[in-house]
Amino acid sequence: MESNKEESHVTRMLRAKRCVPTTVLAIGLVLAAAAGTASAAQPKLPKSGVETPPAATLTETGSTLLYPLWNIWVPDYTQKYPNVSIQTAGTGSGTGITDATNGTADIGASDAYLSPSEVTASPSLLNIPLAISAQLVVYNVPGVTAHLKLSGKLLSQIYQGKITNWNDPAISAINSGVTLPNLPIVTLHRSDSSGDTFLFTTYLSKTDASGWGASIGYNTTVAWPNVTGALGEAGNSGMVTGCKATAGCIAYVGISYQTQALQANLGYAQLQNGKGAYVLPTAASINAEAAGFVKSTPANGTISLIDGKTATGYPIINYEYAIVNGKQSSSSTAKAVRSVLEWAIDPKDGSSPNYLSQVFFQPLPAKVEAQSVKQILKIS
Amino acid sequence: MTVGSAGIPAPGTPHVSTTRRTTGVVRRVVEVARAHEEGAWRWSARVAAVLPLAALVFALTVLVIKAFPAIKVNGIGFLSRSTWNPGSGYGTTVHSHGVAHPAGSSYGAWPLIAGTLQTSVIALVIAVPISIGGAFALTERLPGWISRPLGLALEVLAGIPSVVIGLWGLLTLGPILAHDVYPILGDHMPDVPVLDYFRNPVGSGEGLLTAGIVLALMIIPIVASTTRDLFTQVPPLPKEGGEALGMTDWEVANRVTIPWVRSGIIGATALGLGRAIGETMAVALITGSILGHTAANIYSPMSTIAATILSQLDGAQTDGTGFAVATLAELGLILAVMSVAVNVVARLIVARTSGLAAPVGRA
Repeated sequence: MESNKEESHVTRMLRAKRCVPTTVLAIGLVLAAAAGTASAAQPKLPKSGVETPPAATLTETGSTLLYPLWNIWVPDYTQKYPNVSIQTAGTGSGTGITDATNGTADIGASDAYLSPSEVTASPSLLNIPLAISAQLVVYNVPGVTAHLKLSGKLLSQIYQGKITNWNDPAISAINSGVTLPNLPIVTLHRSDSSGDTFLFTTYLSKTDASGWGASIGYNTTVAWPNVTGALGEAGNSGMVTGCKATAGCIAYVGISYQTQALQANLGYAQLQNGKGAYVLPTAASINAEAAGFVKSTPANGTISLIDGKTATGYPIINYEYAIVNGKQSSSSTAKAVRSVLEWAIDPKDGSSPNYLSQVFFQPLPAKVEAQSVKQILKIS
Repeated sequence: MTVGSAGIPAPGTPHVSTTRRTTGVVRRVVEVARAHEEGAWRWSARVAAVLPLAALVFALTVLVIKAFPAIKVNGIGFLSRSTWNPGSGYGTTVHSHGVAHPAGSSYGAWPLIAGTLQTSVIALVIAVPISIGGAFALTERLPGWISRPLGLALEVLAGIPSVVIGLWGLLTLGPILAHDVYPILGDHMPDVPVLDYFRNPVGSGEGLLTAGIVLALMIIPIVASTTRDLFTQVPPLPKEGGEALGMTDWEVANRVTIPWVRSGIIGATALGLGRAIGETMAVALITGSILGHTAANIYSPMSTIAATILSQLDGAQTDGTGFAVATLAELGLILAVMSVAVNVVARLIVARTSGLAAPVGRA
């Protein structure tokens, strides 16, 4: 980043040197600087949809759910724009937000939007929707091959230790035809701060407002009830390995870990949506749910997409956010960040099925994409 | 400062061959350096002596300042409460005692303090007898061709990074214990006080006992290698005297060798305990990360202070009020105080026992 500053300085000097006399040089410098800030304040999206970035080294940290996608995005983006290099790291959404706030990282990835207290603490932060993800509820119940039906109320009871065995009548009542074993349920939750915990506890809070919603609520970390054998696991991969090792476990993981979950022989559930139907997470059900939230998505992208009222929608979906400081350290870094994000949400580039299908994400609906572009152009 | 030794001529010493080669300027420089050598040495020594203390004071001061808002809000009840609720970051921000924190946040460190002590005690109960026995065998019983490679292995074990041991504990040792060892204990322990803590359910292998066992593996090298060095210091005469009096090997060990180094063994144990209390990475991987309540039985998931600071820092940073980070700083302060207390108590014990237990002939 230091070198970029120097470089832009050098180009300004060159530009200034064309106006030969030294007295004019100073004015030229001031003008160039003024022009620089003016163009940074109102960047325009070129026809291609992606600004051409200056040479830059960018850092991305944050969400372990978004991390696999960044890892397939970065090689192709940097192949197209070889003067940009991007370092990625899956650190957890919390670190992503902190790093973006204090400038350690240029782009922070998060499954959860910024909380009001974070916005108050750092008002220049933007949360920009990049794609749509969903969450799976997975389980390791030997002998059960069907996709179990589970509701938010049921999950709330399980995570509060009120339902403790897989053969509980409350579970078998909605899973007729499935033979459930006499096996204690082991609840897994994330020990680190996690956007997935935020999504899962939002679903429980919305579907069991008087129970879970009133006593525990939703956050990236919550006060988990005292349930015998309950385990905290770090990261989505920790959830998958932990669940694989523990017969009777139930856990929640981001849909980008679906392949790993299936390899670990875990089953995933049909969840009850806001209309009472039990739905599997598929491209169709995720897009149907997302469509129901397009109108209500505000310009700043801050909205929870949980338990909507779409008959065929899957109830736990979310926007994956890039957390970016709207005021970057230099205009060239800002331009590079804009370029990367523009490329990422462009349906012809980063948001083509070619990339998103690898992690089971869905592209943003057109209106939301346009809103994201507007937010991206605010980065200066 | 021994001038004139090591081949360097002292000023004015008639050392013909060197004096001829040394020009006047160089000699002058050497003389000035000599004149200031003592002062420079004294000052650098003073700085070096004060530096560790200054670092300790600085670290503790910063910790207290960072933790201060949390100390005010959490109060003395922080030490005894069993709850870990960061509150709703998406809800309102409230103020108590003039400190902003998320509505509903409530922290208590008791389960973490208890967890730190429990894992450390389990580790010591396992590690100390093994270490003393192993060190004794290495120095007193085994022939050199076995004891040398074994001693080397001990030191290599001490060098394995804790994250590697933690991963092995999580992926290999934990599942083996949970499937093949814990059920035997859990099924057969009698339902009487103390031992009923070992009864079912045995859980998944992530929990208190697994953490204690892994910690034991990590402190055995420290305790054992220190104890081994102590045993080699015991002079042969008292031992031979014991044997001459008709003592058995066991009696010599129990009444001569071990008492001779008793205070040293206590010191070695304190070293191990200090390591166990502060160990973070390996423990964080295998405790099961349960924060709000103490372990229901010895297999239950739990957490320690150090592991909690590691696992919660990421999330704490998303608390815009900064209260969660302040609470972690308060935890750090408690951990620091516990470590210092362990050191002080160990020193007191060493001071009381050394000399008393030593056989005749030892000052």
